Amino acid sequence: MSRVIVVRWAGGKADFGLDKATYGIMLEAALRALRQTADLDSVIGDMFPRGAIGIKTNCLTRKLNSTPVALADGLAEILTERGVDENNIVVWDRSNRELSEAGFLLNASFTGRRCLGTDTSGVGYSSRFFESGGVNSLVSEILTRTVEHSINLPVLKDHSLAGMSAGMKNMYGAIHNPNKYHGNNCSPYCAHVSNLAPIRSKHRMTILDAVRVQFNGGPGYMAQYIETYAGIIVSADPIACDRVGLEILEHMRKKYGLPTLENDGRPVKYLQPATELGLGESDLSKIELKVLSADQTGSVRDGELY
Amino acid sequence: MDRRAFMRCVGCTAAVAASQNTFLPRFLGGIQNAMAFDYADQLSSVEARYYKKREGGGVECGICPRHCYVTDLERGYCGVRENRGDIYYTLVYGLACSLNVDPIEKKPLYHFLPRTTALSMATAGCNVNCKFCQNWEISQVRPEQLNNLELPPRALVDICRQRNVPTIAYTYSEPVIFYEYMYDTAELGHKHDIRSVMITGGYIEEKPLADLLPHLDAVKVDLKAIREQYYKDVVDGELQPVLDRLVQIKESGVWLEIVYLVVPTLNDTDAEFRELAQWIKTNLGADTPVHFSRFFPQYLLKNLPPTPENTLQNAHDICQAEGLEFVYLGNLRGHQAESTYCPKCSKMLIGRRGYTIFEYNLDGNLCKFCGREIPGLF
Ligand code: SF4
Repeated sequence: MSRVIVVRWAGGKADFGLDKATYGIMLEAALRALRQTADLDSVIGDMFPRGAIGIKTNCLTRKLNSTPVALADGLAEILTERGVDENNIVVWDRSNRELSEAGFLLNASFTGRRCLGTDTSGVGYSSRFFESGGVNSLVSEILTRTVEHSINLPVLKDHSLAGMSAGMKNMYGAIHNPNKYHGNNCSPYCAHVSNLAPIRSKHRMTILDAVRVQFNGGPGYMAQYIETYAGIIVSADPIACDRVGLEILEHMRKKYGLPTLENDGRPVKYLQPATELGLGESDLSKIELKVLSADQTGSVRDGELY
Repeated sequence: MDRRAFMRCVGCTAAVAASQNTFLPRFLGGIQNAMAFDYADQLSSVEARYYKKREGGGVECGICPRHCYVTDLERGYCGVRENRGDIYYTLVYGLACSLNVDPIEKKPLYHFLPRTTALSMATAGCNVNCKFCQNWEISQVRPEQLNNLELPPRALVDICRQRNVPTIAYTYSEPVIFYEYMYDTAELGHKHDIRSVMITGGYIEEKPLADLLPHLDAVKVDLKAIREQYYKDVVDGELQPVLDRLVQIKESGVWLEIVYLVVPTLNDTDAEFRELAQWIKTNLGADTPVHFSRFFPQYLLKNLPPTPENTLQNAHDICQAEGLEFVYLGNLRGHQAESTYCPKCSKMLIGRRGYTIFEYNLDGNLCKFCGREIPGLF
């Protein structure tokens, strides 16, 4: 059984996104529920024993609908408050430009929480290929050489080819040749990218931002297809997290009278092959889903998925 | 900081980095020389040709048979064309990642201005993904992953004129994916008596090729196999469009030569060599030069040995027996099949060892010994 926690914000409007403190409340609630303990120190200590932590963002759409800086900041604060040295945190994506345009402050210096793209001089991609199925790729050295643990921090959105872009699709940003793997609705490539040794072995958790969800017309930004969901989806299982994200995405499409992704010719096919690779669980009946609702008083209650 | 500024101060950066190494957290050792700058700033944004906007958003590229459907902010398979707000851009126009002056024999083109040189250039990217690619470091990456030289068409033509290089070769990666850059350079080149040759896999759509051919003087096509399955398994492409383009090139009158890389166990049977020879003879003519080239293990095919010499000899003999008049063996230095022989009197016309020509017995296009006309541009 894979556990997935959805935390929704009930403390006010989220149409323009959420701030760091709000994300902090939601993240703490999610982590406690995920590990079924109130002791966050032990949660962080157990999940990230020694070594650097990489936080992989998705900064494709500038400030319009990329991983919110507030989410990365909220997460980093939780980590540092629980004993992680800020020098051991690297927020990253494939390029400095994309990070910068999404509002992140680059830091490729020698101190502090780092924030940098794989295209930073001196970083780049691995010198050896990693292989899974038909995928043969070089992987960002941030992942192969720099960090021990990887937290995936994607955004839930519709995708013109894959059907959905969530956690697994976000790892296309960790390889040097993502454009080669968009055929057949990105399947089974998306599964195999997540199965590449450094990606699979270092993945600890996906935190899927679903505060403002682009339910159609993605992955580029289209304002008319944005719905406020005000939630985050958190799991240690990368497939289960995406599977729950898909439920939410399909529910929104239905609400707005859009065809299912399958009927739109974009079925999300890659979850099943990922399950076959042993990356996690795509069958909803085998996913333990807990939905919570949090507000600014810090109170956390059971919530509704839709 | 832009890249030029970075390059200017790279020396002092390295010194600073070195002096601070000991204070770095161990885990960041891998990026201790890191300095943030943006390669993407260096990319071009020239509107691509042959694309269509799709109803409901997205564009469809029409340069090659993949016909990539690309939505906003995404790129096509080749990685060098990007949709920005449903306008499709080439990111590599005027940005060469490789530039050399090579003997024309290196392309290889054996019937095209022998003993001359070609300014050989490439950009990043490719529209297939051959498992044996010898240039994968430029063909299988995105342009921002390389150092590129800003060389617009005018600059390439000027280099040729200043250095007396008669030809520009679009080569190394796959020129089809930098079509606009190649087209404009070739067109400008002709205005200044500079010729253009395209070294390609031939995986291109009919119309872009038809428009391009008047600006080209020769094409060398890597026909990677004569079986569709090989294209699917090893190339990640299709055979039929390549065969169609070969016929199109031949019919256009632009000089054509073919290279076939012989990969042990994958495309090296007698039946395939025979099929290949028969197809060429029937569709292109017996006088089309064919080069069999030796495979060396690299990229994603490191588990196979280099092609045995007798396999290449076998390919050569089968094609000759089938009636092909100019069959060459490449990557076999010193082999007699590097040289050109007269199909009529069998005398050596052009003696080659590697890229060196040690004997030359042509009068214009005619065999010095028997007067037989030899096809090509001599
Ligand atoms: S040229 Fe590139 S973008 Fe265009 S169809 Fe071919 S691979 Fe796709």
